[in-house]
Amino acid sequence: MGALAFSAMGAKQGIAPGAHFAPRAKRVLWLFMHGGPSHMDLWDPKPDLAKYAGQPLPGGFGEVMTRRKVAKNPLLGPVKPFRNHGQSGLPISEFLPHMARHADSLCVLRSCHGDSVNHPQSVYQMNTGSILMGKPSVGSWVAYGLGSENQNMPAFIVLPDPRGGLKGGPPAWGSGFLPATYQGTTFRPGDKPILNLNPPADRPPDRQAALAKFIQQTNRDHAAQRDQDDTLEARIRAYELAFRMQTAAPEIVDLSAETTATRKLYALDQKDCAEFGTRCLLARRMLERDVRFVQLYSGDTLGWDAHKGVLQNHTIWCRRTDAPIAGLFDDLKARGLWDDTLIIWGGEFGRMPMSEQGTGRDHNPWGYSVVLAGGAVRGGLAYGATDPIGLRAEQNKIHVHDLHATLLHILGIDHERLTVKHHGKDERLTDVSGNVVKEILA
Amino acid sequence: MKVIQTLILLMTAYWATADDHWSWQPLKRPAEPDDSRYTNPIDAFITAKLRPHNLSLAPEADRRTLIRRLTFNLTGLPPTPAEVKAFLKDTDPRAYEKLVDRLLASPAYGEHWAQHWLDLARFAETDGFEHDKIRPNAWRYRDWVINALNADLPYNAFVQQQIAGDLLHPKDPQAAIATGFLLAGQDMPDINLLAERRHMILNEMTGTVGSALLGVTVGCARCHDHKFDPVSQREFYQMRAFFESDLQLKEIKSGALTIRAMRTGKSTATHMMVRGDFRRPGDAVQADFPKTLNTAQGQSTEGSRTELARWLTHPKNATAMRLAANRLWQQHFGRPLATPEDFGTQGQPPTHPALLDWLATELPRQKWSLKAMHKLIVSSATWKQSSLNAGNDPSWKQGLQTDPKNRLWSRQDRRRLTGEMLRDTLLFTGGNLHPERGGPGVRPPLPREITSTLLRNQWPVSAKAEDHRRRSVYLFARRNLRFPFFDLFDRPAGAESCSHRMTSTTAPQSLALLNSDFVRQSAQHFAGRVANETAVPDEQVRHCYQLLFNRHPAAEEFAAARALAGSKGEHLTDLALGLFNSNELLYVD
Repeated sequence: MGALAFSAMGAKQGIAPGAHFAPRAKRVLWLFMHGGPSHMDLWDPKPDLAKYAGQPLPGGFGEVMTRRKVAKNPLLGPVKPFRNHGQSGLPISEFLPHMARHADSLCVLRSCHGDSVNHPQSVYQMNTGSILMGKPSVGSWVAYGLGSENQNMPAFIVLPDPRGGLKGGPPAWGSGFLPATYQGTTFRPGDKPILNLNPPADRPPDRQAALAKFIQQTNRDHAAQRDQDDTLEARIRAYELAFRMQTAAPEIVDLSAETTATRKLYALDQKDCAEFGTRCLLARRMLERDVRFVQLYSGDTLGWDAHKGVLQNHTIWCRRTDAPIAGLFDDLKARGLWDDTLIIWGGEFGRMPMSEQGTGRDHNPWGYSVVLAGGAVRGGLAYGATDPIGLRAEQNKIHVHDLHATLLHILGIDHERLTVKHHGKDERLTDVSGNVVKEILA
Repeated sequence: MKVIQTLILLMTAYWATADDHWSWQPLKRPAEPDDSRYTNPIDAFITAKLRPHNLSLAPEADRRTLIRRLTFNLTGLPPTPAEVKAFLKDTDPRAYEKLVDRLLASPAYGEHWAQHWLDLARFAETDGFEHDKIRPNAWRYRDWVINALNADLPYNAFVQQQIAGDLLHPKDPQAAIATGFLLAGQDMPDINLLAERRHMILNEMTGTVGSALLGVTVGCARCHDHKFDPVSQREFYQMRAFFESDLQLKEIKSGALTIRAMRTGKSTATHMMVRGDFRRPGDAVQADFPKTLNTAQGQSTEGSRTELARWLTHPKNATAMRLAANRLWQQHFGRPLATPEDFGTQGQPPTHPALLDWLATELPRQKWSLKAMHKLIVSSATWKQSSLNAGNDPSWKQGLQTDPKNRLWSRQDRRRLTGEMLRDTLLFTGGNLHPERGGPGVRPPLPREITSTLLRNQWPVSAKAEDHRRRSVYLFARRNLRFPFFDLFDRPAGAESCSHRMTSTTAPQSLALLNSDFVRQSAQHFAGRVANETAVPDEQVRHCYQLLFNRHPAAEEFAAARALAGSKGEHLTDLALGLFNSNELLYVD
């Protein structure tokens, strides 16, 4: 079965099941902090960890599986103080003064957990549900399930960190066994946002127009001599879409009409923030144009992976991202996009309470925080809990499958019914598990 | 363990009812339908199913279409204008047969058909995961597949060597290279625990053998039994046990080569793993064949890979033989006789069970020669049917109505080129395909936008520029980065065995064919070649059509093409580009 890119064609052809019930949000913005941000230094205050800092892990915690040999290292106390914010009094560390302004809009899931202590497996799991490579990503499932609202743009757009080096690489936004149509399309700031988008400089507009006309006429004549063939028609429409994208995509990345005030809001005037802020602004322009699923990565090869010097590492990465994200939130609220956008902030895992190389922390998939925001979720809420030192999720545990089930639920999709036949089986994002965390829904 | 035992009891009861599923019934040679009109039994089987619907085979496609279809199907490339001309002029009644023989003897055959197998083998030349480390000798397995196909290595030996070549031919380093099949999957060498790494590789290997060679999904059985799977959890670990003692996680020296291959090791006790968790070994199990699928022989006695290899290629192994026949059909017709990936109870039953069984029993009778099987299939009237209603045939409409999805094969389907075939065709027709064969994978330049998503130095461009123009099968297969042009056209990720590619139609495909450096440069080369071969603008246009479509342009087409190419042919590159973007190039009639 052929499938036409970026359009709701899927639904018309009967391959996309569409929403199962009324959605609470129609778009997703995923701020992916690559490397694994430290929950106990950002979102999940642990007074006991401060108390026991310098001592080994107390008895009773059992054996801890770690990436590096840190299980017997002394505990490292939280490296930044927390303060309560907003009417809700949601505790947020001083690493994130700007996002803290939105405390009453944030829903902190403190009890998330996954299955692997390694980066690529966890990047894959957070994106596809599986620690193995090659499964469809959440964005591609959503594109497959709901199609695109914007007939000129892909349904799933990824804005990678321009420094490169995501661990696990592009399969993180791949479509696995779903048609290639649904994979994430990478966008970059600047005048070449999509690969191969622009006609080459040596092809003037009149030549481009003549070429386009010739191709479409040739293909229409070809199809006319062949009995109704959906595939041939679909390809003619794919060219129409390609030509429309050539106009629509540069318009999306053209920031010239954005005011000085807006630029300031995204902290584009600050050297450390300008790069990430520009991508946040691009993300807003995409959401505004009803791109269904936008994923934005922060963090190069090392990124938030603070094996040593959590304080220095998180100071740098929070500085780069905190103000732009808070500005983006302000802007989404001001433009009426907040209520029907689901925002996700999180990494592939969190970090260990034990120290590594004195001042760092190792990977921790057993308990960590993911923050949700937008009209669909309860703001000012800290949901679930890790144990007193932040090692493992303990109360109201949320496995990655549960997080995915909840995400789909918010978009009006029953995760058990969004399936595709593969190798004779009904495959789904959540494999054989996943519970919707209803308590966090607004 | 009680739970598992109870489950197995329950499942056994279930399988007792599922035992009559078609794909694991013993294989019997069906009688050929009596039909004096056809000498090829395939046609007799197909027409026997058409007759009750008052349908018959569509007329044979014209000779130009036939040579184009055949050349693409067997070699992945289009015929040259000279080849078409010679075939059209050849009045020998054996002209078509000679053509088939010539194409099957061409090394391009192995280079094209290898890719089907490499998809099944989830072949890539890197580990995947974080470091996506290069396997410097992985290309030797790719070359082994190409050479084996070109040499027409009998199919049973072809499979056996990939499972147990090292044991069957201990003195032949090539046979050890063949076992690269087992280890071609993703791997994370720096995972924390060696036991976990072993566990994952063994599961992956067992799962691949299941889907690639038995057509059943067994991978899910590693955790628990599944209602619809013919392989239980116990049987999964019994199958896995064939590999368990021979998996050594170091590259080995074989002759002068260092390769990634299997090697006989110390016998290791095999256990089931509770819920698929490597830290929770359960009952000990002995290597054995999955019972439901076992139509070939009794229980395993040796538990060796050699024994497994022979069982997988036993002429009475109904599932394996049907799968091989089904796949052959699929690669010639674009669709299988039965759902390709899965012969479990979830797969669709075949439309032509007798034909499938006939083909499955024919393979050993043809001395396991794949080339003989290709010849048999492409020589059938069924395969040679027209895919379009060229002559206003009134029965054509009836065929469309009665058999809209062409399940009965009352006509030929149009086939899309793969990304690899399209790239090769653009190079070949421009006279630009570098013919060198074999050797380490080649990395042509890629846009910085793409390489920047990788770790540093993961795509060092190959030094020799002519290498960048070699056939697609020789391009380096990085697991974490499918070659972008192939990625666009649905090349599988190398994450798991793939028997049937999707054919999605997307706008980024169009953009790549309009604007990518590779396609633009190919259009320039192509236009340069055409201009070199004729200076007359009218002739240049005609030559473009001959090279790309093996035909003359019709009057109206000619006028439009001539206009695009410019009065003096100064925009010939634009015409090349326009034709590169045509459906006539991408879809073969």
